[in-house]
Amino acid sequence: MSDSLREILDVGVFWEYRAILLQGLGINFLVFFGATALALSLGLGAALLRVSRFRPLRALGTLHVEIFRNAPDYVMIVWVHFVLPLLIGTLLHTRLELNPFASGVIALGLVYSGYFAETFRAGIEAVPSGHVEAARSLGMGEQLVLWRIVLPQVVRRMLPESINVFISLFKATTIVSLIAVPDLMYRVSMITQQEMRPLPLYTGAALVYFAIVLVAGTALRAFAERWRAKVI
Amino acid sequence: MNNWERLVWNQREALLAGLQVTIEVCLISFAAAIVVGMALCLVRMYVKPLRAPAIVLIEFFRATPILVQLLWVNYVWPELFGWPNTFFAAACTALAVQSSGYLAETFRAGIEAIPKGHREAAYSVGMSHALTFRRIVLPQVLLSSAPSIVNQFTVIVKSSTLVSVITVQDLMFQSQKIVNIAYEPIEILTATAALYIGFIFIVSFAGKLLADSLRRSYGIGSRHGT
Repeated sequence: MSDSLREILDVGVFWEYRAILLQGLGINFLVFFGATALALSLGLGAALLRVSRFRPLRALGTLHVEIFRNAPDYVMIVWVHFVLPLLIGTLLHTRLELNPFASGVIALGLVYSGYFAETFRAGIEAVPSGHVEAARSLGMGEQLVLWRIVLPQVVRRMLPESINVFISLFKATTIVSLIAVPDLMYRVSMITQQEMRPLPLYTGAALVYFAIVLVAGTALRAFAERWRAKVI
Repeated sequence: MNNWERLVWNQREALLAGLQVTIEVCLISFAAAIVVGMALCLVRMYVKPLRAPAIVLIEFFRATPILVQLLWVNYVWPELFGWPNTFFAAACTALAVQSSGYLAETFRAGIEAIPKGHREAAYSVGMSHALTFRRIVLPQVLLSSAPSIVNQFTVIVKSSTLVSVITVQDLMFQSQKIVNIAYEPIEILTATAALYIGFIFIVSFAGKLLADSLRRSYGIGSRHGT
């Protein structure tokens, strides 16, 4: 027991590989930002479909949300990496291959667009209808009302509520290591195979993610509270 | 259509066996997560000297990615505690550990939302602390957090896809095995994804119905809104 404990606390191995591991963490962040950008834009699109006046468009938005919100991250990543290129290739009559990084970003972007769509929709529906009516009575077109009146309020309202989704998304970026994107977790597994010392390496990885999520989550929450208090 | 029959329908036994393992892993870790989550929550709220360690544990469980936790439990715990000694047990433990952190916070919110008067009334008619907790607090907490508890179950099902990484033969493992034999991923992976999405959709839909009917029959938990 005490031997294992000493082994865990021996962070020397983890420190020895700090340059490689830090690069891996950088890839985690790249995947995170790529997937966030994709998820936010797709989510906004789906939310606008869901509040549309035309029933088929609404149904399409609901379908998008229900599929991607209920899809497990790992299943989606594997599907996008191995099936999507084949399907698109068949349609275009070419051979297509996605690199693992792109697959990871697309898959996570799709999955989390479902969550963001719901947050956006709740935000859109929370805008008082008087605001929209007032803008319309001034002669603003539908597009203008959306961009000038509705969306600015939605963004401010949704930030505090979507912090948990951002955190889940960041945590999910570790899964891309399973399709050989060289992120922190992938590198930790590789080093473990070489060094045969899983204890300090896996514990170190867990602590690194723990620290990042804890610090980023606390900071974001404090920031969002202040921003919301200032604006609304 | 031929491919679907050859690759999916003819492999149904392997897939169903995998689905069974998935369901077993999910149910075991869900039950364990509720028990451990409640214990963590009570220790955090009522056992003063252990409060700080409980908070650290809850935050650690919540803030670590499930894949990291799975590998951590699988490789580090056996050395450290001599347990879990099978991949199946490691999978259940990792999933339970993650969810217990979330559930502990859910339960705490539920307990804190109960008006103080309920407890005072129970004490004033002579109920002990334990009895008050069992008869007054616990039922209300379980009712009001029913939606979050069901939601946590869907999170467990989603995370359970990762146990295939440590060679637990769940649905994901079986379908990847078939892909590796047949080298034709389209049908089998699409079917697997559809199975998971359908399964999780049904679970969350049924959970919502259950939570709604509980709310209607007992009139508690309305603070969650409609």
